[in-house]
Amino acid sequence: MVTLSIAKQTLEDMLRRKILLILLIVAVAMIALGPSPGFLSPRESSAVLRSLGLAVILLAGLLITVLTGIQVIPTEIERRTVYTVLSKPVQRYEFVLGKFLGGLFTVFVMIASMGIVFLGVLRYQEGRFAPEMVQGVVMTFFQMTLLGALAIFFSTFATPVVNFFLSFGLFIVGNMSAVTESLLQNKNVATRVIAGAVHYAIPNFGNFNIQNKLIHPQVVIKDMNVFIMQNIAYALIYSAVLLLLAILVFDRREV
Amino acid sequence: MAAAVSIQGLTKTYLDVWSKTEIRAVDNLVLDVEEGEVFGFLGRNGAGKTTTIKMLLGLIFPTVGSATVLGKPIGDIGAKSQVSYLPEEAYFYEGMTGWDAMDFYARLFRIGEPKRSERIRKCLQDVFLEEQAWRRPIRGYSKGMRQRIGIAQALINDPKLLFLDEPTSGLDPIAHAELREIIVNVGRQGKTVFLSSHQLPDVELTCSRVAIIHRGRLLTLGRTQELTAGDMVEITFSGGDAGLVEKVKAVAGACEAKNGAARAPRVTPKDVNAIVDLVRGAKASVLSVVPHRRTLEEVFVDTVMKAGAN
Repeated sequence: MVTLSIAKQTLEDMLRRKILLILLIVAVAMIALGPSPGFLSPRESSAVLRSLGLAVILLAGLLITVLTGIQVIPTEIERRTVYTVLSKPVQRYEFVLGKFLGGLFTVFVMIASMGIVFLGVLRYQEGRFAPEMVQGVVMTFFQMTLLGALAIFFSTFATPVVNFFLSFGLFIVGNMSAVTESLLQNKNVATRVIAGAVHYAIPNFGNFNIQNKLIHPQVVIKDMNVFIMQNIAYALIYSAVLLLLAILVFDRREV
Repeated sequence: MAAAVSIQGLTKTYLDVWSKTEIRAVDNLVLDVEEGEVFGFLGRNGAGKTTTIKMLLGLIFPTVGSATVLGKPIGDIGAKSQVSYLPEEAYFYEGMTGWDAMDFYARLFRIGEPKRSERIRKCLQDVFLEEQAWRRPIRGYSKGMRQRIGIAQALINDPKLLFLDEPTSGLDPIAHAELREIIVNVGRQGKTVFLSSHQLPDVELTCSRVAIIHRGRLLTLGRTQELTAGDMVEITFSGGDAGLVEKVKAVAGACEAKNGAARAPRVTPKDVNAIVDLVRGAKASVLSVVPHRRTLEEVFVDTVMKAGAN
């Protein structure tokens, strides 16, 4: 009950932030205006819309997740609202989990809103519902879940500015998992060690990018559903570990 | 009577990164606050009052020492459910309405419906927050309204022990008087109040005992009545000849006549009888013999000055 109350308060607080609403409006506008170019054939226009829609959801989701993740705990400490919360019978783990869930609900609301508009525009453009695109949106959400947990972990000890660069930096490096994976076969031992450390220690964000497979029929994944479930499990387990670390750090933090 | 708060050698040090020196915010503090008393915790800015309260609430951790709150170690969740805190500035989620903020804090105490709504209504009424303000966002509240909602949230769990950190600072005289009345009422209900304040007349009026700390160290601890009890007596009299005033002055050190009456403002107890005899012997009338009380402000200033003001 306490964790959910904190999560609800966090969601309401974040939804009042103008910057997040502006991001959502811009993203929705970009998706809605996607089919506009009149010089494209219907097939080309559809491919553009699919690429654009998923890319916009990813980019807006990324910004919303990082802005939310880096703020939810430091803002409480900076505004000193944390005093009236942690002086009550609230365990510190409940606070961290509540803040994470509140941020996650915010990201969910934002991505779901963009996803619904995207699927609606696509339905209008193609004249049929495209269920496979839901998979892309779901994967983006779980990618953001993992990123949000990473940002929350950093927020327990780093300033928002440092956290912003750390989270963004690791997201970019984590998206290059294909590169680091290929470097694991390198002849140079040092390169292999470094690539291995980066590949296994940094969250593998690249595996969540299934846009190519969804947009280009020639790219085939053997069993898409299993692949998606594996990545969701990966996101949940990795997020749980990051939250556990965040709780351990925050438990010793003075506010 | 059991101790609501028992502090045993509580010390908090910080390291000044630039000068590499250790700063002692609280230094080997030892004191007990009894159940049911309104206790004043006094000190200059930076004396360590807020640091002490934050340690007792588990917001920061002692470097050395220990304390119990309602018989439980610092941070105990069971104890926290019977404790409340009003920080120096009442910080709230600005977008929330007064009612929603109260609802949120009540949920943190795991108070279920319908009791939650009843408690919220009662607490908001107890702090005299106008009903039309209940559904308005807190960002539109005045300083006084914020303090009221701050106290209301501190009362939401019907606590046994309240920590109030400067609850009346920055308020206009009416709001100040009303909030002081609320604190007095809380004390009358038998709750323990740990009041940190610079408003010494308020403390004198509301607190049965006070502690004065300076640079983190306890300087004085005692009953307010005893601390403010003076060791001088003021005697006023009328009548008698001009020589009487001079005779009294010779004994008391000071005596002045004005508008047909004379006043010896600072007479030591051992000289009282001698002066009364002098006055009566001169066929004059003793109008009053009043023990001179010191204000808490005088006690505070004297204590801190003796310890070294800087």
